[in-house]
Amino acid sequence: MTTQQEKVIPSKYIPDVGSHVETIEGNDYLITNDAMYTFYQRSKGEFSPFFLALRDDKRLLGCKCTNCGLVRVPPFLTHCPDCNFAPTELIEVDQVGIMNSTPPITYFATSLFQDMAPYGRGRVIFNGADTAMSVNLYTTTGILVPGIFKKGTEVKLIFRDDRKGEMTDVFCVPTVELSKEQIERKGVQESEINWEAPIEPKLPQADDQEVALYNEALEGIKSIIEEMNTNERARKDIAGWKRHILVKTTGGQFAIVIDDGDIRLEQREPASPDFVMVCEDPRTLLDGLAYRGAITDSVINRKLWISKNMEFNTIFKLDRMARSVARSKKS
Amino acid sequence: MSKRVGIVGAGVTPFKGRWVEKTYYELAQMATREAVKDAAISIQDVDAAFYGIYNDIFERTAIPEHAIHGLLGMQNKFGIRITTGGATGAYTLSAAHAYLSAGRFKTALVLGVEKATDCFDFSSMSATPEVIKSIGWSGDSFFEQPIGWSASDSYAEVVLAYMDENPGDLKPEVTAKISSLLSEQVKGNPYAQRQFDQVTPEEVMNSRLVVYPFKELEICVYTEGAAALILAEEETARAISRNNGTPVVWITGVGEANEHSFAGKNQKDMSRIMSDYYASHRAYEMAGIEDPTKSIDVVELHDAFVHQLEISMAEFGLVPLGRADSLIDDGLMTPGGKYLVNPCGGLIYCGHAVGASNIMSAWSARNELIKRGLKTALVHGTGSTVAQYTVCMVLEHE
Ligand SMILES: [Zn+2]
Repeated sequence: MTTQQEKVIPSKYIPDVGSHVETIEGNDYLITNDAMYTFYQRSKGEFSPFFLALRDDKRLLGCKCTNCGLVRVPPFLTHCPDCNFAPTELIEVDQVGIMNSTPPITYFATSLFQDMAPYGRGRVIFNGADTAMSVNLYTTTGILVPGIFKKGTEVKLIFRDDRKGEMTDVFCVPTVELSKEQIERKGVQESEINWEAPIEPKLPQADDQEVALYNEALEGIKSIIEEMNTNERARKDIAGWKRHILVKTTGGQFAIVIDDGDIRLEQREPASPDFVMVCEDPRTLLDGLAYRGAITDSVINRKLWISKNMEFNTIFKLDRMARSVARSKKS
Repeated sequence: MSKRVGIVGAGVTPFKGRWVEKTYYELAQMATREAVKDAAISIQDVDAAFYGIYNDIFERTAIPEHAIHGLLGMQNKFGIRITTGGATGAYTLSAAHAYLSAGRFKTALVLGVEKATDCFDFSSMSATPEVIKSIGWSGDSFFEQPIGWSASDSYAEVVLAYMDENPGDLKPEVTAKISSLLSEQVKGNPYAQRQFDQVTPEEVMNSRLVVYPFKELEICVYTEGAAALILAEEETARAISRNNGTPVVWITGVGEANEHSFAGKNQKDMSRIMSDYYASHRAYEMAGIEDPTKSIDVVELHDAFVHQLEISMAEFGLVPLGRADSLIDDGLMTPGGKYLVNPCGGLIYCGHAVGASNIMSAWSARNELIKRGLKTALVHGTGSTVAQYTVCMVLEHE
């Protein structure tokens, strides 16, 4: 789940030198590509023991006030402001805790975190701590939707395989998704967790009517996908992107193949799909592809389920292709 | 003894999603020109300038106020910039009030300006992801920025925690109705970014989730613009008022509070906005208001999110905590109701030009008090992570 980046600023964010003129009511205005950048060799200072413990020892540290005994995690101070600045001492705390409150889920993120969406960020009070630590929240059950994490949900701290001494070295998953051994052991890593067994929604048995509905919707989806495949804007939306998607609906299933600008529908099951899409009613997908409501919305509203959180990105691209086709028709 | 301070002039630029035609220098001067014209004074009559500019990254320069001081005609006079996140404008007003009240100056310019949408994301070829990224640099840099902190998700934390403790309040139908109502109220504000963007509650309900539980039409929009006020101590204020014929609107109460930014025991209670509680009640105390439900006529509230508007109204003591939906359910803010809330359309429809927003709110509250002949208004600014900062001000019209 980690992304390797060679540069502090990934090159896709960096514009070319350039400018353009925008004309408003007959007047020209000059707009210049620009950036305000500063590089750092930034010290983690007094937080170094905390970040080094995460990175090197897979331990979670807090600080305990020598006067009032309050345990703060993370240990963001060395002296307690509640006790006339009595010194605190570093202690290790448990890696199981509970959600302090129901966490938000970000679907539409800043330009820095778009590849991570949807993501949860919430506050966990680890056993032995009095204060809450902000962490990212993941589920092994598929796409992150409201209801998986709530106030009081018990969670476990999981360590990235590749750690840098940052808060991104850790995240939490609900303990109900882990084995007893995993819950009890400290320092569990992401690669020790089974991310490949999401809980797929069960589809009802299809009757003749649903099969007929499926066949009709399939024709619609097929023709839209063919149109997308011949649309230059839409092809650009999936440049460099490769995915085999298995789509399951009540009336039947098929595959959508995205291959670096090409998109096609195949009426056979892919050998090893990159992810699975489940929607009871195939018209949910049809509407999204036809630019009648976003597919991302259907995912968020649980009308359409996807097996991998990170594939929300692919859903984004499908929405964008739908928009590209619609725009081409307009212009 | 501290002096009485009043608002004697005000002006705003149009609030727009993008001002290609103007830099923040010119926006600042536009609002200032309007404010001194409204007060019918010369800029040479103004003793000091207080600048509300939130984010250096938006303006693409540190100390962004230095260049505008001279071009506003304030050279060789006092000038100070305030930056406190979303509450920048309100804190700028609070600072100006304190200096005038202490007798340091007779008159002051309070100027808020922001340029947000010069920020541009070249990977998606759109402004918004870069605007919210620039705000994202405001989160705690050691523990929260790297894991995707944003203004929206931090306010969502507070709202969800409130909903944990008060299930049944902040119903989606009610937040949708409030947004729709604000979109009706904005029609009367010709300076608003979304003056003609009326939406139905159904449209709000069907708008996409941006950050759970916030939908797109329940969130303030990013704006470029400026707002300016001229404040004066009592004697000067009365003289200006006699000259321009506009009544003085007095600032009779000011209160501020900044909470802890981390949650937990002895720290932030996520289910409350205690900063709103403390700031409003401190302002009431200074203004001598015992029961705000009996005194407050107009509320110009910093509605970053509709849900937070509701919680803020409860923290102000204007509706019961846990029953904020009574704003709609009992008709407290519907047309003809007890409170006139965000007649300017609020930050969701007038727009959020961060440093200028709360100053625009004060501009609107003053207009409403004078125009409608009402007595008392509450002006509010909220900001920073998890609704940490609040400034509240009581405005009174004789
Ligand atoms: Zn202590």
